[in-house]
Amino acid sequence: MRQMTEQAVEAHDISKRFGAVTAVDGLSLTLEPGTALGLLGPNGAGKSTALAMLTGLRAPDTGAVRIFGHRPTSAKARARMGVTPQAAGFPGQLTPRELLHYAQARRGGRAPFDDVVTAFGLGPLLDRRLAGFSGGEVRRLALALAFLGRPGLVFLDEPTAGLDIAAQEAFALTARAFVNDGGALIMTSHYWAEIEAICDRITMIDKGRKVLEGSLADIRARMQARLFRFTLPEGKAPPDWLPARQQGSHWAAETTDSDSMLRRMVGEGLGFHDLTVEPLGLSDIIARMSRKDVP
Amino acid sequence: MILHQLSAELALVLRVLLRQPGFWVPTVLFPAMLYSFFGAGLAGQGPAAAYAMAAFAVYAVLGVGFYQFGVTVAQDRADPFIRWQRLLPGSALAPWAARVLAAIGFSAVALLLVLALGKALGGVVLADAQAWVRLIIVTHCAALPATLLGIALGSLVSARAAVPLANLVFLPLAYLGGLWMPPQLLPDAVAALSVWTPTRAMAELA
Repeated sequence: MRQMTEQAVEAHDISKRFGAVTAVDGLSLTLEPGTALGLLGPNGAGKSTALAMLTGLRAPDTGAVRIFGHRPTSAKARARMGVTPQAAGFPGQLTPRELLHYAQARRGGRAPFDDVVTAFGLGPLLDRRLAGFSGGEVRRLALALAFLGRPGLVFLDEPTAGLDIAAQEAFALTARAFVNDGGALIMTSHYWAEIEAICDRITMIDKGRKVLEGSLADIRARMQARLFRFTLPEGKAPPDWLPARQQGSHWAAETTDSDSMLRRMVGEGLGFHDLTVEPLGLSDIIARMSRKDVP
Repeated sequence: MILHQLSAELALVLRVLLRQPGFWVPTVLFPAMLYSFFGAGLAGQGPAAAYAMAAFAVYAVLGVGFYQFGVTVAQDRADPFIRWQRLLPGSALAPWAARVLAAIGFSAVALLLVLALGKALGGVVLADAQAWVRLIIVTHCAALPATLLGIALGSLVSARAAVPLANLVFLPLAYLGGLWMPPQLLPDAVAALSVWTPTRAMAELA
């Protein structure tokens, strides 16, 4: 157990019941510094309860959580983690500057906030009352508060809900830079593209249990699936051996052996145009894996 | 370090409250208004006038402690901002301390208004300056159990139930305890109950 204290997060077999409902059931996960973990799952899968136990908001019924080797409610753990407040909860009477000052004071007053203000484009908003903010503006402040003072570990719950494209890109840059500097990050998201852009690993839970876990590279390699997209001359349909479906003017076919499929398409003189070959998106892979009930 | 955090907490709490005049104006004015309606009518009756003023002073302080500080606990449990505050480093007691201080500040203003009205309208004369100070101290001590009662109630029930339930508890207590009118003026049966209420004891002390 001793060497595991180096982990940013270590949760061992944690469970939480609410009455007859088991929200989280024997979940274990670890997160080393310099890694970003995506926590996925449908609504009601137990993501929020899991996050609440990892951050120390709720005590698990069974099992234990350690943040850098400390109990999540301890001062040592709190000093090293940053959490996004839920965007709905800010008192509208305050301004971002006041909240940043406050969070700074709670962190011992040594955390400069210019960097997060710049990273999340808060400059022009600093002295406006939050009551008039759009959802995206509030979300940017929530992210700034989580990254304030460069904690070793950040928890981000649906970080980009409501953000416009530019803000999403700025967030992805900041998050990756944070992780590359040795920070540990846990985020929940419904946006596959964003999970793929930021996370190194994913843990997928459903009905409180872990159903899928692995590095993104592993998951892709395990499937080795590729997506072919091409067009055919007017009036031509793909032969029976080619499992292609029509998508607008294009045909799309998935395969785990792209080399043989391409050789055969060329060998049979299929007359295709505009061929692109891409790895499958994460969402496609997960959809396939959960269809097959892969543990 | 602790003081640094406490001042940050106070700044936060006071900003939020002071920027909501809809909250603090009624809170501060309500006891004074009730006093001028009912209490000041007993003007010029010597000890009775002093009793009325003291009773409304207790009422002012209790109300602020019970509602604004205690009962809001129910709302806070569901408040995502407070949940976030709990996850920050630093003392978890400091936000509470700041709220106690803010509650004392607001109740002091409400109290001073009642006292000022008592002097101006009711013509209340207390023995000396010391008596006024004693009154202020006693009423604030009385606020403590009321606040704790409010917190207990706020902790037990949901946010939606807290305020109606608080009215159901607090208003009868105030009435029975003779905070609105001297117990001598209450109907006999009510007066008999009155002896047993904590609010009566607070009023007598004051």
